[in-house]
Amino acid sequence: MSLIDLLRTALRSVSANKLRAALTMLGVVIGVASVIAMLALGNGARAAVDATFQSLGANQIQIGQRFDMQDGEMQPMGKKLTFTEGLDIAATIPLVERVEMSVSKTLKARFGQNAIEINAIGTTADALEGIASSGEVQPVGWTGGDALSANDFIGDGRLFSTAEVYAGAPVCILGYQTARDLFSGDNPIGETIWIDRTRCTVVGVLTELESTDIQNRYRSNPNEGLLMPISTMIQSLYEEEPSVYMVAHVTDANLIDEAKEQITTYLREKHQIEQDADGNYQDDFDMTTRNDILGQQQEAAQTFSLLLAAMATVSLLVGGIGIMNVMLVSVTERTREIGVRLAVGAKQRDIVSQFLLEAVFISASGGLAGIVIGILTIPFAAALNQGVALLLPSSIPLAFGVAVFVGIVFGLYPAVRAAKLDPIEALRYE
Amino acid sequence: MSVLVIRAEKITRTYTMGGNTVTALREADLEVHAGEFIALMGASGSGKSTLLNLLGLLDRPTSGEYWLEEKPVSSLRRDELSDLRGRRIGFIFQNFNLLSRLSAWENVALPLAYRNGQFGHQDQLTRAREALSRVNLDHRLDHQPVELSGGERQRVAIARALVTQPAVILADEPTGNLDSNTGTEIMHLLKELNDEGRTIILVTHDLNVAGYANRIFTMHDGVLTESEPTHVAH
Repeated sequence: MSLIDLLRTALRSVSANKLRAALTMLGVVIGVASVIAMLALGNGARAAVDATFQSLGANQIQIGQRFDMQDGEMQPMGKKLTFTEGLDIAATIPLVERVEMSVSKTLKARFGQNAIEINAIGTTADALEGIASSGEVQPVGWTGGDALSANDFIGDGRLFSTAEVYAGAPVCILGYQTARDLFSGDNPIGETIWIDRTRCTVVGVLTELESTDIQNRYRSNPNEGLLMPISTMIQSLYEEEPSVYMVAHVTDANLIDEAKEQITTYLREKHQIEQDADGNYQDDFDMTTRNDILGQQQEAAQTFSLLLAAMATVSLLVGGIGIMNVMLVSVTERTREIGVRLAVGAKQRDIVSQFLLEAVFISASGGLAGIVIGILTIPFAAALNQGVALLLPSSIPLAFGVAVFVGIVFGLYPAVRAAKLDPIEALRYE
Repeated sequence: MSVLVIRAEKITRTYTMGGNTVTALREADLEVHAGEFIALMGASGSGKSTLLNLLGLLDRPTSGEYWLEEKPVSSLRRDELSDLRGRRIGFIFQNFNLLSRLSAWENVALPLAYRNGQFGHQDQLTRAREALSRVNLDHRLDHQPVELSGGERQRVAIARALVTQPAVILADEPTGNLDSNTGTEIMHLLKELNDEGRTIILVTHDLNVAGYANRIFTMHDGVLTESEPTHVAH
């Protein structure tokens, strides 16, 4: 029988028992909807982890003050993380190569008659290495090739030293545009400018920079602003010491857990955190590594994915058995029809195709309905999974394929049984 | 001599039932030439249905050989039998055996649909209409079987048997479910078809029906014998 004849036969037979077909589909509908939701959660978790990987290197530990829910609001716990602690960690823990910290504030800079509002960033002596390794900006005209080093970012003068950071020296480095705005083309090196009510000596000027991401170039200007030691900035320009956010770079990514332990020991001692009666520590800081984020995401996604996978498997199994059952009933009901078809020349494969197509027709219709329902449930699934869900277009044919597969697997036995009927018995069937 | 449509030589069919072997047909010999109209008579259980099933390629003989249009068919596989049956045999049943979800013309076209796509939709419709017109039902093309009378249903079934231009038409009690007037109509139609050259083998236990045939065979306990035509009242 030609495919069109077969399709017409299947369609007619299914539509003759609409309610029965609809009820039979239900298991497949739920199963396929679960498959869609499961794939969306899995893909969402993977995408979230990928995004995190980009911002957090494998050898980095994020350290921040711990926040706690109090009176319905997130409140910082215990003691602040201070920049001196960050400097100490870098200096005293050998596994820590450096600690990136920064604070920023919009301030007024003045030289002679020129006064402008700029974004001042307080940072460490190796801040430019961090910028160089982040790959977010590059000197204008940079054509790639060798990896950028901190020195590639200095246009004139020098960067401030670690000693100056420890000492809180009143020195600063100007952005390319800011230097032109304040000094109108004169050489700013060695000059003293005012930042709010603090004096500060210009020791360097950055080279002209551009964002590596072309789309970003018109949004922010990396050439406006100034850098100064974090110590100087906090001591002179903050009324109250802020809690800083640190990124500790560990010498070897394999030793990250050890480094974490050492930093924890240091901070507990500094913050006078003692073991409580149960032997636990009430830390007032949080440390996060890539593995932590990966673990959390995977755990959350895996729990739901597992639940959905179980639901999908059970629903598809039940749906498949339902299809098999209905098809067996259908074969029995239509024994005489099968006999007539055999008598007028139907081959076994014609009968198999007819009943298999009918089963696939039911499961595929259920699959389509399941895909629609699955897509509609994604927001709910995401809400249960920290808002992380992502439907990839490839999931839709995959879920549809699962539905068709169920139809084939569970429709095969009834179809083969129909084809094996003895034509004489079938014609005689009442 | 005309074409030999059917030649059966010592065909035997035995069944095994609860350890006992039952011989439903015993070494039957039969030759049917093109254009003959044959009646097969016998009591129920005499083996005439068994013979008809064998002649219609619905079954295979336990022993003996059967040639359909001079082609030996005893060793054909199931699907080969189906194919040959669909092309060369036309069936007419006592209970019509029309598919209830199909219209009259679709029922008639069904054998054409199983010809591996040889007949497209339009082809099927054209040939079905021709066949239905031969049985004077071209005005009932799109009717469902339930919308037709018993006689009309049997005429649709006859059209289905005609549509493939088969070598032989096998009719199993074609008037058994019809009132006597309608039965007579159907027998007249079969007689007309025979006059047009169709080869027909008819199973019946009704002597009047058998009277339309040129030759009459009788089955008794699985043994086939030809009766003298003079023995039959017309």
